This record gives sequence, structure tokens and C-alpha cells, in this order.
Amino acid sequence: MTQSPATNASSIPSTANIEESQKIAHVTAKDFSIYYSSKEVVKKINLDIWAKKVTAIIGPSGCGKSTFLRSINRMNDLIPGCTVTGDLSLNGTNVYGKRIDITALRKTAGIVFQKPNPFPKSIFDNIAYGPRLHGVTRRPELELVVEKSLRQAALWDEVKDRLPNNALSLSGGQQQRLCIARSLAIEPDILLMDEPTSALDPKATARIEDLISELRGKYTIIIVTHNMQQASRISDFTAFFYEGVLIEYDQTLPLFTNPSKKRTEDYITGRFG
Amino acid sequence: MKITTRKMLDRSFSSFGLFSIVLMILALLVILVPIFKRGSTAIVFNGTVEHRRFLLERFERGDEQEMASEITAIQAAQKPVYDMIEHFENRQRKYLDALNEPLTKLAKRSDSIGRLTKRRLKRLDKNKPFLTNVKTIQKLTDRLKGHVDSDNIQAEIEQLDATIQKIETQTKNLVELKEAIRELLGPAPGETRPVLLRKQYGQTRWDRAQVKLHEVLYIEKWDYSNEGMGRKVFEPRVEHFRGTEIEPLFDYMETNTEAMLRPQLTFYWGFLTDKSMDIHIFGGIFPELLGTVYLTLGAILFAVPMGVIAAIYFSEYARPGIIISFLRICISTLAGVPSIVFGMFGLAFLLNGCHLPKGVLAGSLTLALVILPTIIRSAEEAIRAVPRTYREAALSLGASRWRTVVTVVIPAALPGILTGTVISMGRAAGETAPIIFTAAASVAATLSLNPLQVWDQPTQALSWNIYNLCTEHEAANEIQHVLFGMTATIILVVLFLNLFAIILRARISKKLKGETT
Amino acid sequence: MSVTVLKKTSILNTPSDNLVLSSRANLAQNILAWIGQSFLFLVTATAAMIVLFIIFYIAKNAIPFFQIQGLTEFFTSAEWYPSGDPPAFGVLAIMLGSTLVTLGAIVVTVPLGVAAAVCLSDILPFSISQTIKPIVEILAAIPSVAYGFFALVIFAPLLQEEGGRLLMVGWYLLAVPFLFIITIVISEMLTFKITHESSRKTARTAALFVLGGSFIALLIFVGNTLGNLTITTGTNALNVSIILGIMALPTVVSVSQDALQAVGRELRDASYALGATRAETLIKVIMPAASGGIFIAVLLGIMRALGETMVVWMASGNAAQIPSPWFNYLQPVRTLTATIAGDMGEADQVTGSSRYHVLFAMGLILLMFCFLCNLVSEWIVSRQRKKLRGEN
Repeated sequence: MTQSPATNASSIPSTANIEESQKIAHVTAKDFSIYYSSKEVVKKINLDIWAKKVTAIIGPSGCGKSTFLRSINRMNDLIPGCTVTGDLSLNGTNVYGKRIDITALRKTAGIVFQKPNPFPKSIFDNIAYGPRLHGVTRRPELELVVEKSLRQAALWDEVKDRLPNNALSLSGGQQQRLCIARSLAIEPDILLMDEPTSALDPKATARIEDLISELRGKYTIIIVTHNMQQASRISDFTAFFYEGVLIEYDQTLPLFTNPSKKRTEDYITGRFG
Repeated sequence: MKITTRKMLDRSFSSFGLFSIVLMILALLVILVPIFKRGSTAIVFNGTVEHRRFLLERFERGDEQEMASEITAIQAAQKPVYDMIEHFENRQRKYLDALNEPLTKLAKRSDSIGRLTKRRLKRLDKNKPFLTNVKTIQKLTDRLKGHVDSDNIQAEIEQLDATIQKIETQTKNLVELKEAIRELLGPAPGETRPVLLRKQYGQTRWDRAQVKLHEVLYIEKWDYSNEGMGRKVFEPRVEHFRGTEIEPLFDYMETNTEAMLRPQLTFYWGFLTDKSMDIHIFGGIFPELLGTVYLTLGAILFAVPMGVIAAIYFSEYARPGIIISFLRICISTLAGVPSIVFGMFGLAFLLNGCHLPKGVLAGSLTLALVILPTIIRSAEEAIRAVPRTYREAALSLGASRWRTVVTVVIPAALPGILTGTVISMGRAAGETAPIIFTAAASVAATLSLNPLQVWDQPTQALSWNIYNLCTEHEAANEIQHVLFGMTATIILVVLFLNLFAIILRARISKKLKGETT
Repeated sequence: MSVTVLKKTSILNTPSDNLVLSSRANLAQNILAWIGQSFLFLVTATAAMIVLFIIFYIAKNAIPFFQIQGLTEFFTSAEWYPSGDPPAFGVLAIMLGSTLVTLGAIVVTVPLGVAAAVCLSDILPFSISQTIKPIVEILAAIPSVAYGFFALVIFAPLLQEEGGRLLMVGWYLLAVPFLFIITIVISEMLTFKITHESSRKTARTAALFVLGGSFIALLIFVGNTLGNLTITTGTNALNVSIILGIMALPTVVSVSQDALQAVGRELRDASYALGATRAETLIKVIMPAASGGIFIAVLLGIMRALGETMVVWMASGNAAQIPSPWFNYLQPVRTLTATIAGDMGEADQVTGSSRYHVLFAMGLILLMFCFLCNLVSEWIVSRQRKKLRGEN
């Protein structure tokens, strides 16, 4: 299981091979802006995120990439004074439209946060939390879901004997995989990841990256990351944000090898950010 | 200023700070140590045979056979005392009988003296207490002195008077002595049982027995020879009985008290679980304890749901604004309301306004108001301390806001909420002023153990009865151990609740960190 | 790039129109949320409004008294004979009693409490002050009736028998070091301006002797006077003041400690960096910066002492008289709270009488005073918050 990030990178299929006809836009942003109070932090983004692909969003801190990510399943609603304009649709439905069922939206688009945030409950209850919310209450069913999710998150073998233990007794990397498993348990279409490895050590980071590679093709994954190597290793597409503006968006390989914008090149080559 | 002076000022400043902390610790010790030390004697003390007899007869605790043999032993030890008294009494009777002859002689006279004597002698009755008969004759001789007309009879009457005077003094002294002995040892064998419970038993505690023994041996008098305040002096009682049968009694009692009362180290846990008898002269403080428990639990029952809901609203839902800051000011004002005002409000609103009976319900409601601000504040703090990430995680999994609060936020905040609750319980258990008018009764039936039957019953409570007993009990001196025991109990209850809160907080926060499973 | 948006594609798990609620479901959800929030708000508002209800009810019961008896007697007469014929309802002596014991408690508690707070926050190492904290908490947790019991059963007899000597020891303990320091500081301040080295020294020594001598005389005079004092009753204003002072101590200590700690490391560092000693830093920099919080601590201490019932009821002697002279702490006094507690039992037999309502008038005075204190402290807090915001 322990693959080094380097070997992992080489296993990425060339994005150039992806045929145009396979592309299905899962998330579409049209002139989409986000404001904190009156400050525009994401500025008129136009972007299609393709289904079942891994899309990385990179950019320097404060460029609005996390804010954009969190707006997809409306986690930004929790921040007082946060408003949006323009259009952000998920599978053709405007996320900020009328009568949106936020519960269903968040079930469709699961999110993994920067710092692992398991509940102070048992491992089992952590995974089962989502399914219970959505109406699965029978124990055998829950056990199935828990096992499936933990297997998907490559955590099953490590924790199968201590499911009743407190989730906070796991290591940081395990906690993050638990959080991924928790998101998978509600069977989302999209998995949003907000710098999921920034609080982890290199070894745990490698595990998570492996996991993302395994999930590729099953879910639409959008990952915000600081780490350009990570983006290049694991993503099919990359979007580069700078000061709230989408500078460039392309398949990962072309973007990293042959950026079309000067800013992108500067950022990738480490001249700023 | 010179640098040395500055340094000196600095040092003295620090030492004043240290001094005040030392003073604080000292104050705590000065208050707690005597209360705990003397309070513990309510449970651990040298109990006499009377204590064991009381427990056996009133609470049916103890071994009957052992008791029987003990009683035989103490009766043997006490026998000389009662024998001496009996001899003395017989001697006095003889003295009185000896007066019969001259008196009948006087009665046979045909003048006013004869008539008076005859009338008086008719009042004598063997069934009346000895002292009454003595007093009848004494009055007679007193009157006769005024009727004397011839000299030869005057000498006779004066002699009679002197004799009866002596008998009267001795008898009075004896009655006093017997009363003192009865207080120490209980009713004498053969005596009819007194009605008052406290007179049916001797001293149950060895320390009280020592005090009573002192009262047997010495007479307390006040010396006013000095100007101003009088001074207590003790006069040995034996002086009254020099040369009589009773003279050796005092030495005997002093040396044989132990044999007569058989003190034994006793652990009387019944102090906490027995009802009181004869207003705390005997028995324990169970009714008070139970009343306090009911009032406290009642207060928690009303205050916690309301307080937690208000805390949830303040921390999860409220948008800052004029209304919310107004509500907050209201609650902080509530926290500053003097506790006696809560009591007045309870009286005016709950009792006189809503016509609730004075009882557990009214008291609990009043106490609930007292602790409400504390509960709101601590619960809000606990809820705010729950990491934002927990809420985010729950919401991101599709939980609604209310679901998030109920399934994630409240469980995570539970230690804090419980801690606040337990500390408020301590506060409610210790409060007196709010329950004076709404629930407290100095003397009431012990509450039933069924909570549904008690809501309209006025009750005793530890806090109230401490006040009541030490200011209004007619024998507050006799029950010092109960007072101290009660005070120690209420302090311990409150301290244990606080300690419990601290342990709870530590344990659950450890669990939250995942250190235990 | 050709963009295909599929509504129901085989590769997506959930059909997207699930995201939109039907208008009925949406309405239901909104109504439910509204009802839930309103319920929460209602409970919260009820909890908060209780205090207004209390004020209203106490006032409602107090006003009949003023209607019947007017204001003059209540506030200006010291004659308190509620059961007399005609009854007299002068509360002056009782209000003076409350004021006396509260003042006494403040005099005891504020210097000690603030000094202890300073010590806990700045002088003692963290681990020791953490171990001392529980002691403060225990002092705060002891029920007031236990303090009252101590005051009545243990402290009052002690005061009555050994009172003079106790006072004398206390006086020497406090006054000797204080006067010593004062002597040195004053003699230095007096001679500070003399420039000539040797004449300054002589002047200083002379000042030391003169001041020291007079202070020693004062010390011994006051000490002897106190030592020879006979205290006729142990249940007096002094007893209650000391006990109330101890009771208010935890509040004062913890609130002013919080205020001192809120001042922050930077100010302290700045002051130390300029060569100030710890005392100078604390007195000249930290305590002024924390003065608002310390003032709140004092206010809370006043509220605690004024509102306390059991201690004063048990140990103040309950004599509704103005002590002679009025500041004589060795005489029994009677306070508002104790009067309410003690007289309500009899007054309630005839609900509606002046005797019943006068107690509510007293309660109203207590309540208003506490309300005022609360508003003042609330105002200080908000002002401080504004100040902090302004500085940032």
C-alpha cells in the first residue's frame, strides 16, 4: 500500500487521452462571485468541473480557492455576511436557487476539511452519523455501510477491531481517512477536499494521496491544495486562482508543463506565492 | 527615590500580596476546621449505654440480650447511688415522723393554735410528694409563730420550726440532686416514666455526660460582688450534705461514672439516616437531608432545561442586536438579585399570587430562579467552547442545524453543562433565604420518599434548620453536636458536589481528547 | 469545448432534481424551522424576562406602602416599631445598618482581595496559583448559612471574650509594617530636594526619628486603646463585616484576577523594560489598565455583602437602632435583608397590611441598588470593549 508520491505520480494516466465526449460538466460556475460583507473574494468565476475526474484548485493563500470550494455545498452559509452573485450549478441545478434542499445538496457533495475533525464519538458512530441522518437506522445495514466506507477509505484493516473506540484516539492521518470514509458513507457524487493533507506528516499525506487515486473515476473530486507537487501527482485538471480570479484552468499536465499565462508560470516556478 | 527604597517597597508590596493569600487560607481553615472537627462528633463519639438503649428501643437497632446484660451491669453500678438516696430519704422521713408527736400535742390544744394545727395536719397525705408535706408543716410552724401567746410554747414552736426548716432545705437539696442525677443517668429505677422523651433517657454522649456530672458535683452560682457583670462560681454540692448518708455519693459518682454509663467509641451513621426525635435531642438529620435533596433536585429539574435552551439560543441562533443584548442584560441582572428578594418574589407571586401551597414545589421554583443565570452562563460557555469543526462536519454530512445541535454540539458540550449544573446544585443546596417563605418549616413531618406526594408539603432543609436550631432551639447548648454536624454536612454536600463537578470535567474532557475509551 | 449537461446520467448516483424541494416541502421546512426558532426564542425571552417580572412584582407590592404611609417617615425616621400602636416604619436605622456592614465588608475585602489577585496573577508562579485557586473556589462554595453559623456560634463568643486583644493583634500586624514603610517613604520624599549630599543625609535621619517616634506613639496608643476595649456583645457590625468580607473575597479575587490577566504581557514587558520594579509596574501600569475590571469586582463585592441575608440575620444582633456614635461597629445593627427575613413571617399573617408592604419597599430598595450596580458594571464592560476596539 505504501507507495511513494513519486511512483504515484507516474501512474497518472495522461490527461490528454481523455476524450471530449466523456466530459460531463458536474459543477458549472457562471460569472460566480462571493462576497464577505462587501468585499469580493471570488470574482466572476466561469468554470466547468468534469464529472468523475480529480480537479485540483491551486493558488496562493487568500486567493479564494477554499471559499469557492466551500460554496459548492454551501458551507459558506455559516459565515455571517457571506453572499454570492452569479450562477453555480450542480448537475444543472443552481445551488443558490430557490427552494434548494441544503441537506440533499450536502449529501450530494461531501466535504473533507483541512484539519481532521472526527466527532468525539466512537469510530463506528462517526461513520454511521451520516447514514443515520439520512434514514438508515437498522444496525446490520449500518454495519455494512461502515465497513464499505472504511474499506473505500483504506482504513478498515487498521480499525476493524476497535470500532467502538473513540475516534479521537486515532492518529492524525487515520483521523483524516476516517473523515473521508465518513463523507463516503453518505454516498456523495462529489467529494470536496479542502487542503486535506496540510495538517498531516508526509507519510500520512502519501496514504491520503493513494486513497484519492483509488477513488478516481468513482467520484468527482475537487481538491484545494497548497502543494503543487500534490496537484500534479493526483489531479486530472487544475485550476489556478489568484486574488479571487480564475487565471487558468486546464488539464493538469499541460498546465504544469506549458502554462499559457505568465502568472501561472510565475506561481508554478515559485516566483511568488 | 533611592533604589533600595524602591526595592523595599517592591518587596513589601509582594509580601502584602502573600500576606493576603495566607490570610485567605487561614480564614478558610479557621472556619472549616472547628466546624468539621466538632461536626464529626455527631457521628463519631463516645456513646453511653443510654445511646444504645435509645437506638434499641426507638429504632430497633442493636442486640437485645447484650443490652439486657449491659443494663444489669449499670444497674449494679448505680445501685449504691440510689441506695444512698433512699437511706437519706428514709432518714428525712424519720425526722418528719418524729415531729408527729409534738404536733399532735399542739393540735389537741383548744386555742387558735390547736385549731390551726388541726386544720393543717389534715392536709398531710402519705401519697403526696414528701416535699409537699414538709412544706405544709413548714407553713404551719411559720403561721404558729404569729399566734404564740405564752412563753413556754414559744420555745417549743421555734424548735419545731427550726427542725422543719432543716428538713425542708435538705429535701430541696435532695430534689435538686435527684434531678441532676436523673439528667445524667436517666430516670431512677421504679420511677414512673416521664412523658417528655428527653427525660426518659440519661445522657447518650460521654462528653455531655461529663458536663452533667459536673452539674451533679457542683452548683452553679453567680457572684455579683464585683461591680458590673456577674462571675460564674461553682460550689461543691457535697457541702450541702456534709455528715449525711449522701456525702460519699459524690466521690462514688465521680469515680464510677464510666461503670454507670459504659461509654464506648460509637460510629453513629444513623445521624444521616435517622429522623430526629424530640427536636434533635435524639436521632439524626434525615428529614433535613431529604428536604434539601428534594428542593435541590426540583430546582435543577426546572432550571436546567430552560437554562440549556436559552444557552443554545444565545450561542447558536441569536443574531447580535438590540433585543439580544437586552436579554443578556436582563440575565446578568437576574444574577445580581439578592437571594432574599427571590424569596419575597416567591412569596408574593407563587404563594400569594398563584396560591401554590408553601412547599417543595414553590421552594424548588424559587431556587430554580436563583440558579438559572449560572446555568445559562455555564451552558453557553460550554456550547461556545465546542470546536466549530464539529458543527461543520455535521452540517457537511447533511444534518440540519437543530440536528447538529442535538447530536453533536450538546454531547460535546455536556461536560461543561453538567459541571455548571452540579455547581448550581451546590448553590441551591446551600441557599436559605429563598426558601424561608416558600418551603421551609422548622418542624414538619418527614417527607415521603415518593416525589409525587411531596410537592405541596413544607419541609425541613439543612440550611434552614441550621439557622432555626441555633437561634430558636430551647436547648441549643445540648445539641451543639447536631448543629455542628448539620453545618459540616451541608458544607460537605456542597464541597462534594463541587469536587464531583471538577472530576466530571476532567474525566469527560479526557474522553473528548480520546485518552480513554 | 463542448459542454454536455446531463440531467439523469447513468454515471451520477443521484438525479440532480432531488436537490430542489417541492414548494410544499420547502414551505413545511421553513415553517418548521420558524416554529422551532420561535420556541427557542420564547423560552430564552421568558428566562430573561423573569427579572423584569420580579422587579414588577416587588414594586407592585411596595407601592401600597408608600400610598398609605408616604415617603417621609420611611426615609427619615429611625423609629422601627412595625407592630406598635401606632406602628412606626422608619427605615433609616436599618438602611444605616446595611450601609455599615457593607462598608465594613468592603474595607476588609477590597485590599485583601485585590492584593491576593495581584499575587495570584503576577507574583506567584503559575503552578502555585493554580493550587491556590481551589481554595478561593471553596470559600465561594461554602453556603452562607454556614458562614452565619460560624459567625454566631464560634466567632461571636470569641469576639465577646477576647475581642479587644484580637483587635490589638490585628492592628499591630497591619500597622507596624505599614507605618514603617510610610516613615521611610515620607522621610525620603521630604528630603528629596536637598541637593547637598551630607545635609540630605542628616535631614533624612532627623525626619526618620521624628516621624518614627510619632508613629510609634500612635501605634502604642491605638494598640492599648484597642487592647482595653470591652465588647459587650459579639453579635455586632464588626463581626458581620469581617465575615461578609471573607464571603465577598472569592468574587473580588477572581474578578480582579481576570481583569489583571486581561491586561496582557506586552504592557508588563514594556514597563519592566524601562527599569520599573514589579510593584511599580503593577501599581502604575497594570492596575490602572485593569481599573475597570477591579471596579466591577468591588461592585460585585458590594452586591454580595448587601444582598447577604443569613450571616447578618444570625450574627448582626438585629437591633434596629442607630449605633452611638453612628460609626460604632461594636454595637449590634439590623440590615434590610435581615429585617425582611425576620419580619415577613409575622407580616404575612396580615397580607395587605402596611407591615407586609413595607418589607417589599425595602426589597425594592435592595433590588434597585443591585440593578444600578449591575448597569454600572455593564456600562464599564461595554466602554472597555469599545476602547479595545478603538485601539485596534
